[in-house]
Amino acid sequence: MEIVELKNIKKSFGDHVVLKDINFSVGKNEVVVIMGPSGSGKSTLLRCITFLEEPDGGKVKLGEFNLQAGLPLNKERKNMIRALRQNTGFVFQQFNLFSHRTALENVMEGPIVIKKMDRQKAKENAIELLSKVGLADKMDHYPAQLSGGQQQRVAIARALSMKPMVMLYDEPTSALDPELVREVLLVMKELAKEGMTMIVVTHERGFARDVADRVVFMEDGLVVEEGSPEKMFGSPVKERTREFLQDVGKEGR
Amino acid sequence: MDLSIIIDSLPVLLKATMVTVLLAVVSVIIALILGFFTALARISKIKVLKAIGSIYISIFRGTPLLVQIFVIYYGLPQIDIELSPITSGILALSLNAGAYLSESFRAAILAVDKGQMEAAVSMGMTYWQAMRRVILPQSIRIAIPTLSNTYIILIKDTSLVSVITVTELLQMSSLIIAKTFEPLTIYLLAAALYWVVITFFTALLDRLEKRTSKHVA
Repeated sequence: MEIVELKNIKKSFGDHVVLKDINFSVGKNEVVVIMGPSGSGKSTLLRCITFLEEPDGGKVKLGEFNLQAGLPLNKERKNMIRALRQNTGFVFQQFNLFSHRTALENVMEGPIVIKKMDRQKAKENAIELLSKVGLADKMDHYPAQLSGGQQQRVAIARALSMKPMVMLYDEPTSALDPELVREVLLVMKELAKEGMTMIVVTHERGFARDVADRVVFMEDGLVVEEGSPEKMFGSPVKERTREFLQDVGKEGR
Repeated sequence: MDLSIIIDSLPVLLKATMVTVLLAVVSVIIALILGFFTALARISKIKVLKAIGSIYISIFRGTPLLVQIFVIYYGLPQIDIELSPITSGILALSLNAGAYLSESFRAAILAVDKGQMEAAVSMGMTYWQAMRRVILPQSIRIAIPTLSNTYIILIKDTSLVSVITVTELLQMSSLIIAKTFEPLTIYLLAAALYWVVITFFTALLDRLEKRTSKHVA
């Protein structure tokens, strides 16, 4: 069963065409890793799924939600976009934790404000989620008191607090010191094992190999090639895919 | 210099200082509300609101406060709006400070990292939920230093209201001097009292700033 379906997604910033024509779907429990050189449009694609960037054209389908892009923004559409966002968990490269709230409050915020959940229940859920990412003992810390890796794990817990149908990760470890990358990837791996549907934009080749069901290679706003990690790293069909994935390999990742 | 003049004048001057403090506190509260909504108007996407905000700021930052006081107190009665000296004073001071504060608020709202808004809306918050829960609480912390500055200037500006016969600290000093002919002593005493008031509020706002920025690296 498909959870996410993108049809003919197009996006330009001024004259610069970032996404040419993206067609792409993700099934339930599937982990898809998107790789590609910088400027290939992978982050933009991820942001288009939740309309953080509204695509110029095309269709986004998430579960039962169906959104045609590029239409005027009226109240009904705004509600649709919010419903879509409430069902996706977005993890940013720069974590973007609410800096005036503790780790615990960060994870409680969505359920309380958006889902109008009872405070006590939201707190119980939040503690459970923080335990899951290994940070229950840091729940009263403010983001500035946490390391980058810890902040990103709180951010993952915050995204999970909305019980999303799919988790979207936008280069979740790119802003981290090398020694902190592992703890974040471990949490993501654990989630994948539990059957969370995930789309991950990353350069972490090891993660792609171990965790991905499918690797998608993008360049110049197009999906060049996709397939299992074995195929994509072992015997990609396209010359460009081979070049890029081998280059990444040489960096020792 | 006669010590007895100081002892005799002090109770009256202290009473007048209370008027100064009252003018400053009431005006700053109104100015904060005014400045806050003007800032929101200026960053909104609605063009009319934006324009109203800009015109208001332009008028009250672009003209002297003394002229604003005269227009309100001496000018408005001509179109049958008669306000008491103290009301006129508070109105002029609030409108004036509000214009400055709105710029502080606006800058502070814009200074909150863009990622904070993105994170809030990516969870499905509305623009206003994100503003109220995430952006505004953080922007208030950022705004406090410039806000303190505007407030200190406002306290000093209350002395201008003396020209429309409000018996605040400066006006009272002048009245006493008219009787005692001791301008140096009395004006220095008034200056000292202004200093005490301003130092008190500065310390208070510094503490507030420290408290709100405790958790920020």
